[in-house]
Amino acid sequence: MSCSVLDEQQFRQGCQLLLQRSDQLGDGWSWEAVQGSEEGYLRKTARRSVPSDWGPLHDQEGFSFHPQTLCDSTGHEKEEQDPAASTGSDFLSAEEQDDGSYTVTDSSSRVVQYEYHILFSCSYGAPVLYFRAFTLEGKSLALEEMWSTIHPNYRLRLQNCPLSAISQQEHPLLGQPFFFLHPCRTEEFMGLVLQAVQDQGRPVNYVLSWLSVVGPVVGLDVPLQYCTPLHSAVSLNSTKPD
Amino acid sequence: MLLHRLVAVSPMLLCACFCLVSFPPNLLQLLLPRVSYLPVVTDKVKKHFLKVMRPEDVEEMWFEYEGTPLKWHYPIGVLFDLHASNTVLPWNITVHFKNFPDQDLLHCPSNSIVEAHFMSSIKEADSLKHKSQVVNDMQKKDHKQLWMGLQNDKFDQFWAMNRKLMEYPTEDGGFRYIPFRIYQTLSDRPFIQKLFRPVSPDCNAHTLGDLLKEMYPDALTNDGEQKRYQVLIHGIEPLLETPLQWLSEHLSHPDNFLHICVVPVPTD
Repeated sequence: MSCSVLDEQQFRQGCQLLLQRSDQLGDGWSWEAVQGSEEGYLRKTARRSVPSDWGPLHDQEGFSFHPQTLCDSTGHEKEEQDPAASTGSDFLSAEEQDDGSYTVTDSSSRVVQYEYHILFSCSYGAPVLYFRAFTLEGKSLALEEMWSTIHPNYRLRLQNCPLSAISQQEHPLLGQPFFFLHPCRTEEFMGLVLQAVQDQGRPVNYVLSWLSVVGPVVGLDVPLQYCTPLHSAVSLNSTKPD
Repeated sequence: MLLHRLVAVSPMLLCACFCLVSFPPNLLQLLLPRVSYLPVVTDKVKKHFLKVMRPEDVEEMWFEYEGTPLKWHYPIGVLFDLHASNTVLPWNITVHFKNFPDQDLLHCPSNSIVEAHFMSSIKEADSLKHKSQVVNDMQKKDHKQLWMGLQNDKFDQFWAMNRKLMEYPTEDGGFRYIPFRIYQTLSDRPFIQKLFRPVSPDCNAHTLGDLLKEMYPDALTNDGEQKRYQVLIHGIEPLLETPLQWLSEHLSHPDNFLHICVVPVPTD
């Protein structure tokens, strides 16, 4: 399925389109260029309020709560944003289980400052999400603390596929420790998404579609407004020679 | 010509680093295998220094050379070539048990983390070489055999599996892409890694020189210029005419990557 593999130029095009829309929406993404080259990555920081009572996984079975917001129903609409997205990926099943209602058992929560980077992996022909988080006092979150900020439904999915799990990795451009979602399964689930979308003859931004799947897992909201008419989407209908 | 050069070089340079680990005022002498990783070979260090420390003073262990924290997820030989290739042996590194620099180093709570990194590199290399077909066709126990071979220094065990990762269809003339990383210490960028084929579109074998010309031309010396940089693989300088496919098959690290260090020529 060569159409589910991205090359660097397509990645940059997808990022630029995402960036244009982000600027219009005030969503805060920026492009960080590597000095003297076309290489670079997308970057965004965001603050998130995380419930303190998302403890160990076994305490949370049956708990239904959308991680992004306390107030609106963006979660529901996300399912309709791309009907193709509900065909199969492990990450997305968590969304399907959400019946829109939520109960907060404890009102205490903490504020976490996140930093997200989207880089391109030439080895896997896919975007990769790197991220790190800090408390408001500036202390960086360790892996266990990071796990506790992830919605219990997503945690279960991630634990079942170790290579998709969150692990620490050196940022390939900055050299600093970040967390990342391993890209080796990306081609697999993006293949499903792209096939369904292409069957409908719609243009698609690979980077945006990918982000809407993996972002929510780590608390990164991708508002529905990103998907209102794209003027010149990156078309992946042409086969890529390899 | 290259083989002659390899044989003439001391096996110690190719295989191991003579190292002095200090935890002032204590010292420990070790011979560290170039192809392994610090956490795997330094259990002895921890046990040794724990004898002279109180348990409450012992947190996560980490190593440093002249103020630079050493990245445990890089092969030991790469760390040596990058930081100390032109210094007098033994390589004098310092061990710490407190104040882990979490802005510089990945955490390594157990050897299973080292195994995960190692296997991740192998899988990434195979994605480049074979679209992951070879590594995905292996069973879990085969993956384990690669790791155990490295960890226990049993290279026959390792190579029984690794040889499958070194195969390619004869008609292709080589791997799909060459897994490589070029390291340097002049900028913050930790390494250069991009797609590069072993064979050109007109079927010529790409050389080490071709790779550098494309990825890091500054490392090359132009005619009439004085040599500014050494290009090291396992501590030696292969000839730039060496075919990249050959280097990938024979001088890759166990993680299946060609780790290439570009260091300034020492000015005496």
